Amino acid sequence: MASALGDIKILDLTDPLGHYAGYLLANLGAEVTKVEPPGGDPSRRWEPLLPDTPEIEAGMQFLLMNVGKKGITLDIRAHEGKDTFLKLLEETDVLLQSWSREEASALGFDSTELRKQFPNLINASVTGWGLYGPYASLAYSDIVSLAMAGVMNLSGFAEGPPTQLPDNQGFHCASLNLAAGVVAAILERDSSGIAQDVEVSMHESLLMAEETAMQTADIRGIDRERTGGTSGVIGIKLPGMGLYSAEDGWVYAMAAGIAGAGFAGLLELMDLLGDSIADELRQEPYASVMAEFSNSAAVFRLLGDPEKLKEIEDVFAEADVLVTRFFQKYPKEQLYVEGQKLRLLIGPVNGPKELSESEQLNYRNWFRTVSDPGRGRELRYPGAPWQLEATPAILSRPAPLLGEHNEEMFTSVGLTESDLKALSENGVI
Amino acid sequence: MSNVSTKPRPLDGLKVCDATWYGAGPIATRALANLGADVIRIETEKRPDGLRIAQPKPEGEESLNQSGYYNNFNAEKRSITIDLTTERGHELGIELVKWADVFATNMTARAIRQIGFTWENVQTANPGIIGLYEPMQGMTGPHSEFQGFGALLSAICGVNYLAGDDNEPPIGVGTNYTDYVINPIHAAVAVMAAVRHKRRTGEGQLIDMSQLESSVSGMAGALFAWDNGQTPYQRTGNRVPYAAPHGAFLANEVGDRADHWVALACMTDDHWVSLTEVMGSTELALDPRFRTLEDRKSNEDNLDNIVSGWIRDMNAPDAMNKLQSAGIPAGMVQKASEVLRDPHLAAREFYAYPDHSEAGKRAYDGAGFRLSETPHEIRGAAPLIGEHTWEICESVLGLQPEEIGSLMAEQILY
Repeated sequence: MASALGDIKILDLTDPLGHYAGYLLANLGAEVTKVEPPGGDPSRRWEPLLPDTPEIEAGMQFLLMNVGKKGITLDIRAHEGKDTFLKLLEETDVLLQSWSREEASALGFDSTELRKQFPNLINASVTGWGLYGPYASLAYSDIVSLAMAGVMNLSGFAEGPPTQLPDNQGFHCASLNLAAGVVAAILERDSSGIAQDVEVSMHESLLMAEETAMQTADIRGIDRERTGGTSGVIGIKLPGMGLYSAEDGWVYAMAAGIAGAGFAGLLELMDLLGDSIADELRQEPYASVMAEFSNSAAVFRLLGDPEKLKEIEDVFAEADVLVTRFFQKYPKEQLYVEGQKLRLLIGPVNGPKELSESEQLNYRNWFRTVSDPGRGRELRYPGAPWQLEATPAILSRPAPLLGEHNEEMFTSVGLTESDLKALSENGVI
Repeated sequence: MSNVSTKPRPLDGLKVCDATWYGAGPIATRALANLGADVIRIETEKRPDGLRIAQPKPEGEESLNQSGYYNNFNAEKRSITIDLTTERGHELGIELVKWADVFATNMTARAIRQIGFTWENVQTANPGIIGLYEPMQGMTGPHSEFQGFGALLSAICGVNYLAGDDNEPPIGVGTNYTDYVINPIHAAVAVMAAVRHKRRTGEGQLIDMSQLESSVSGMAGALFAWDNGQTPYQRTGNRVPYAAPHGAFLANEVGDRADHWVALACMTDDHWVSLTEVMGSTELALDPRFRTLEDRKSNEDNLDNIVSGWIRDMNAPDAMNKLQSAGIPAGMVQKASEVLRDPHLAAREFYAYPDHSEAGKRAYDGAGFRLSETPHEIRGAAPLIGEHTWEICESVLGLQPEEIGSLMAEQILY
């Protein structure tokens, strides 16, 4: 099968915030080699750890983000390491790295210097704050970017602390933008021959995820705050909208007048399940109020009419008590599947177990089994984020063992066995 | 946006027929537009993009052209209004498909059938086209017809389950999170990869992008651990396995600002030693409960109490400065208005302020990645609904003015 990036060679020297970019590019067919310091990438030791495996090969976060890549170790701070790295760069289309400008200069790899020596190289940088600006040299982490980008202020309960997004979303958003920038730069190089630098700031990569908070501040001079998930972008709590407790877990519903079958559809679902709560909700005062606000235009008009809102908010709250009582009686999967069949926007709150067993994901053969002989087992990995029909996703190798491809990569650029031995003895590889 | 540059861009000449709406589709095609593609959004006034109706708009304003939510995601696109449910309207839509290199949609399968833009129809009309289809759960399978928004998908894909504290309900993260970066940028990467394949081989293709699969891919840590024999995931609020202390801590009240938090992360033992120095406590530095990451993780409640007590007496900006001066990752939990005024973003000219004929100069999020030579940047505002109907009919569809006039009179065009 063809692949979109089958001719592209990539060296990945990124910190953990950039690992997912190399993973995506490898899925598109690029040959991606993770270059680690001789002691290994720090995320190799992050919990959770694969059992019965040497610690350096056990970090599951590292495995997940680096599956499909080759791996070498190289101390690019050492003189001989630098020489070897330059030889590798001659064979490289894309360099992914996380150096600040100061670090790049100290290494002798600042962007001007690299551009001069490697005019065809796409030099792609991902850092916490980007390469210039007053904060460029500050320390960063996932949670710091979430905080400074305003997304954390929206997450959590009104009275509680701002809450981080799960599973390093700053890293993922930065990596996604890095991958997009690299593919755009490859397209440019294909057509005009111009190779260029790509720059991603994790902080900036998250800003779109403020939803409407930025525009609300800009247009209305109002800061959106955390609401405990009750209203979000709509701004008010509508009956049928939000998180509800089901018999065996939680469901999230958008069964209000925003889209799909709306509140009328929710009553239909109640009928279908033979639940008399529907009859109560068909009585006044609910019937006329819910009918009036059965479309998004009416809901948004209500937002601009605080007096009207005040008039009906008790009706909304009482109707919501009935809706809450209804959801509590039924299993989440039933509410989801039966509801969706009626075009109701209801979804279960799924954890890893439900996703792992998901009828939909498994029907689509989404998960991928990767044989990992170095770790003595088969591992079940998530599938690719997309299905490209003509250029299917590729996952051709397990996550690299520390220095697994040293010999292969270094001899390919002309190092001899005795060179390798010397580098190894000096702690360079 | 003082001077709009005219440098070439990587996707100059790429033609995109854009039948997306809401967030996950339009943000993907916005990236293409800001990379130079000619993106034509097909819209209708009968059933406009919900974001054109949504807030924020200036107070009392109901115009479909004034929503900051819509405008931010549609910078630099053109808009044509066609009633695709009419026979002639559908024909004109198919003409745009024939014109395009890429067809993009994130509508549900049902809505796609209603407007006649199934992959079968699109590919028949234009065999070399790239078709991006982004329904919530993909184009096949028992849940392929199910519908939702980002907040709902967040529940299904694991955001709600994974975020927050174990003793609180799984409320999610307060937004339609998956709509804004994860899904649209995965989609943009996939489209550009397909463009490369098309340029090299002439072959188009279908991109079946399930937003569920894309989202799970972007937060798969707990799932991967579960699938390979690890203990069940525990929700841990603001904690992570790789750093301690790690979290958000309430700072001192300043003026009318009672709710000011500082986020920090001690990722290494050195960070911890530096923190004890900033706190001025040699005692803490020597405390065996906190010496290694493992120690600090085992005593994290005590650790967090100590750090909380220290930050509680400081102003948030001072705390950030002190921590950062010692090399510790730290930042303020900024509100949106503070992000808009953030001096770092200002120096980097992140926000764009393109001129919009109804909404004026409003802030748009800048590019999520930057290219040094052929820039990724916002060179224009979002379109008014149907703003380019006439010009697209003339220059793209090759219609005569009389015909355009009569189609408008019949409300096939608006």
